[in-house]
Amino acid sequence: MRYRALVAAILWLTTAAAPGATPANDARAAQFKRLPNWTGLWVTSVWQVGLSGRPAGGEQELRENLQLIKAPPYNPEWNNRYLAGLQDKALMDSRNATLKACTRSFPALMEAAWQFQIATLPEETLLVFENGQVRHVYTDGRPHPSGDDIWPTPLGDSVGHWERDTLVVDTVARLSSEPLAPRAWVSMLSDSARFTERVHLVDANTLEDRLRIDDPVAFAHPWDITLRYSRVTEMSRMIPTNCSENDRNPIVDGKIIITQP
Amino acid sequence: MRMRTQRSLQDGRRMRRLVLLTLGGFASAAHAHHSSAMFDAQQSLTLSGTVKQFQWSNPHCWIQVTVNDKTGPVEWSVEMGSPSQLFRSGWRPTILHAGEAIVVVVHPMRDGSKGGQFVSATHADGTPFERPSK
Repeated sequence: MRYRALVAAILWLTTAAAPGATPANDARAAQFKRLPNWTGLWVTSVWQVGLSGRPAGGEQELRENLQLIKAPPYNPEWNNRYLAGLQDKALMDSRNATLKACTRSFPALMEAAWQFQIATLPEETLLVFENGQVRHVYTDGRPHPSGDDIWPTPLGDSVGHWERDTLVVDTVARLSSEPLAPRAWVSMLSDSARFTERVHLVDANTLEDRLRIDDPVAFAHPWDITLRYSRVTEMSRMIPTNCSENDRNPIVDGKIIITQP
Repeated sequence: MRMRTQRSLQDGRRMRRLVLLTLGGFASAAHAHHSSAMFDAQQSLTLSGTVKQFQWSNPHCWIQVTVNDKTGPVEWSVEMGSPSQLFRSGWRPTILHAGEAIVVVVHPMRDGSKGGQFVSATHADGTPFERPSK
């Protein structure tokens, strides 16, 4: 009898002492089980590139497929500004010719060439890009910060929640001085821009982000865009991109050149 | 040195410019690191030479190719994608070796400097470069 009691006491102590046995961890593990598995490497379907680092169809193919370079649904006032900007070909040629960008603002990051991984945790979902940028989407029920706890940043502030297997993301406070994306040099948004994303798995190798951009100051109506991502099957680990490692493309006299090693 | 320049018909170039202007009024490309406006995508140049160095580096990999010109050996810098992009295409840091013959096609620099954007590459006999077996 004393032996049985001793065994029972030891069992109770070992299970009670195990880190995973606390009620909080049990609840977190249960939350984990409900989250979809989006592990692996993803890359936007627009940037399927080869050895040159450019899509096979070149610039024309890119311009046909990139969503964020299309004309936003501006209201008349903002559309006039947009059209006037398009006329400044010298400015746009200059910006295009000297573009060197190893980071992107949101939502351009979601249409960039960099691979990314997604970590779905109960408290937040992390989108980790190969260039080092990380999007934090908090899913613990918190609201956006208010007052002087929040200020415009290139990626804005994102909170989200799960609707079954769809991650719904709400992003505000995106820095309005940033053009919408490379090539969209005169596509600007106001400080009131709000972004809603519905991210879900279409099939085992396709992820979709249905993005709605709503800007009551600049737009005549919300802008709906669908971004698609393909699973990277040729590699199983992320190889980080570091632009400063061997940058042989300085800008000299307004032009990008190649330096000798 | 063997270089072949293949120029598109003038009409074709005009039409392409018109299409690009219609699509957005902008000039040419930009990708993960820098614009490709520095390269002339309408021209392809074939360089036959030897590999001086293969730089497996970010943000771009580079093939340094020594080409024998009329004036003597000339070094060309051939820009490729990032290691991540090359890896996905089956390349590895060990795929090219200094001293081996190479035929590489590039879109040359617009400013006439000895550089270009990688289009394709083969051994001198036309066979593709392949990853050494493990």
